[in-house]
Amino acid sequence: MTAVSDADASAADSGGNGATPVQVKPGRHREASLYHALAGAGAGDGRSLEQLRAAALEVYESSELPVWRRSGFWTTSLQSLDLDALEPAAAGEGVPDVVRRTLPDGERAGRIVQSAAEVVSVELDPALAERGVILCSLEEAFRDHAELVTPWYSRRLTIDRHKLEAANAALWRDGVFLHVPAGVAIEAPFEIVYAIERPGVAQYARTLVLGGAGSEFRVHEYDLAEDFEGQALHAGAFEMYLQDGARCRLAQLQDWGRGDVFDVSTRFVGVGRDAHCHWLPALLGGHLVRQHLELAVSEPGGDMAFRGLLFTEEHEHLDVFAVDLHETGPSGGDVHWRGAATGESRASFEGLIQIDPGAQRTHTYLQFHSMMLSPKARIDAIPSVLVSADDVSASHGGTVGELDETAIFYMQTRGLDRASAVRVIVEGFFEPLIAELGNEGLEDVVRGKVAAKLAAAREDIEAYATSR
Amino acid sequence: MAAPLFEIENLHVRPVAEARGKQVGEILKGVDLTIGAGEVHALMGPNGSGKSTLANTLMGHPSYEITQGTILFKGEDITEQEPHERAKAGLFLAFQYPVSIPGVSVANFLRMAINAKREEPIQVKEFRMQLQHAIELLDVDRSFTSRHLNDGFSGGEKKRAEILQMAMLAPDVAILDETDSGLDIDALRTVAEGVQRLHDEQGLGALIITHYQRILHYVKPEFVHILMDGRIVLEGGVELVERLEREGYDQIRQEVGAGTSAVGAGDSGV
Repeated sequence: MTAVSDADASAADSGGNGATPVQVKPGRHREASLYHALAGAGAGDGRSLEQLRAAALEVYESSELPVWRRSGFWTTSLQSLDLDALEPAAAGEGVPDVVRRTLPDGERAGRIVQSAAEVVSVELDPALAERGVILCSLEEAFRDHAELVTPWYSRRLTIDRHKLEAANAALWRDGVFLHVPAGVAIEAPFEIVYAIERPGVAQYARTLVLGGAGSEFRVHEYDLAEDFEGQALHAGAFEMYLQDGARCRLAQLQDWGRGDVFDVSTRFVGVGRDAHCHWLPALLGGHLVRQHLELAVSEPGGDMAFRGLLFTEEHEHLDVFAVDLHETGPSGGDVHWRGAATGESRASFEGLIQIDPGAQRTHTYLQFHSMMLSPKARIDAIPSVLVSADDVSASHGGTVGELDETAIFYMQTRGLDRASAVRVIVEGFFEPLIAELGNEGLEDVVRGKVAAKLAAAREDIEAYATSR
Repeated sequence: MAAPLFEIENLHVRPVAEARGKQVGEILKGVDLTIGAGEVHALMGPNGSGKSTLANTLMGHPSYEITQGTILFKGEDITEQEPHERAKAGLFLAFQYPVSIPGVSVANFLRMAINAKREEPIQVKEFRMQLQHAIELLDVDRSFTSRHLNDGFSGGEKKRAEILQMAMLAPDVAILDETDSGLDIDALRTVAEGVQRLHDEQGLGALIITHYQRILHYVKPEFVHILMDGRIVLEGGVELVERLEREGYDQIRQEVGAGTSAVGAGDSGV
């Protein structure tokens, strides 16, 4: 492995001298950036759900499918999506097979499953319900718990940046609401599932999670599809707000199978005073996926660990924008992602550290490591740093790797065949992150997915090795 | 002499040429070596004589090409076999520079390696017992086995991990490629005594490749071979080690007439 970048942005990068408002000033690698943090108030702002839907519908109807272009080497285009042919369809019968096959059997606090546009199953531990935990569809929550939901809904999410974001805000149905009240601590995970069972589906997924003061809980989201032929769309919007001292471990496992599933989603996690979030998305495939993932420390004393792994194959296209946002200080951040690619897949990881004016005494670090398993696969890592405070430390680093032939030979001399040795290397590459999940059931699901992808890419990897 | 277990006949080896149109000469120019079951051999030679090339070639390293000769193991021609097939047959190579495998614990790696040699996976209990035995034999800490293999290990720890793997995999012949290099005297003693015990207890055969004599104070070879410029130029018993210690490689080089320059001149004249 060779280090490709290691840069520091500290006081030297900060702007402003106190006389004028501090301007956000570009960090050293900012020129390559394609995306911007949400970093501000969302669309909610006292408007009712109906008003928001109506405003979003206008944007949806008046805009084209988006194309995102970074100069020369990166384009994420939704133009091959035949949106008119898709519909927010009704679900099939019961819990989809793909959900039964994939989810672990371990203990859980609750589980809610939405297939296509309908919630098909909700379970919640009755003991937790008694303590005030709410797990239901978001539509139901708007009816039954309006006073709780309305102030938070779309508080930080926007509705008009592009057509599919607007489509989500205008057209979402059912959706998921989870509320863990103040002081409730529960080790077993809440499982949120979005499934697509057949082509032709447009799934507008909407999730709102509230963690009350001092609450402690886990959320595992699964985004799954059957292997089918044809197009489907998942346009998701997820928001989570953690109040004072709340602690959440949030994991997201995404595997859209072999169908042409487009996924354009935005996720925002707001960390309150002295609250903590450990967030790990495992992005394991989809025809074309664009994820805007923003983890914001919004009040003093908050901190976060932002982990992630991605693994693309065949012709998949994955575009990740991960934001480590610090709105106040003191705050802590630690971003660590790893990615591997096989086939002719393309992945881009843009990681942004943004430290707003006044977020003094923020300390954060961003690292991204990649491993190429095929000559035609490509992963681009674009770290950037925007610092507008002068008493902070923010830096980033990363490595680019290929399979280490010496390590393969070493393991072969111990009796492992080549394919097994490759598996050991790639699994070992991801293992530090997987082990951090701290939930055996989910860890095993992720390990199983990684192993299955490697098995599927076996010939590809073999050809790569012999070509060098 | 025990029945030949491992026979190397007239082995010629050159590195697989980088695609630069460079003429690459042979590193090994006809090596003959026979190791019987349970025998301990030492292969000594100065830097650049081809010792590591021989070790890697015997194990099937893809960077080396055998241009002539054969390698027989248990009567079978393994010249073209993949490294893992040789390992399964009962060969082992302890590396001069063991490679770190992040994310995989020593214990898990050992289990995988053991299972690779078996039809049925090893029982948990049996594995634990074997591991415990090996740990005691090699005087390593229990916590050692839960660390990631060679990741962040000191030089001494890496070599101990090599011997631990050797003990667990119980090969018929272990090739130790300069296992003594870079070790302090305590680590050297542990490693060497580990090898000696495996020889005594499990009948391990060994080819100890070394530049120096010091490891041979702890593991007593029955046969000693001196490799110079790609050929074995002198063979004998343990007395050769003592002679080397007294006289050095230069004296022997003059005596056998295998000077680098002479061979080099001969080659280029062809």
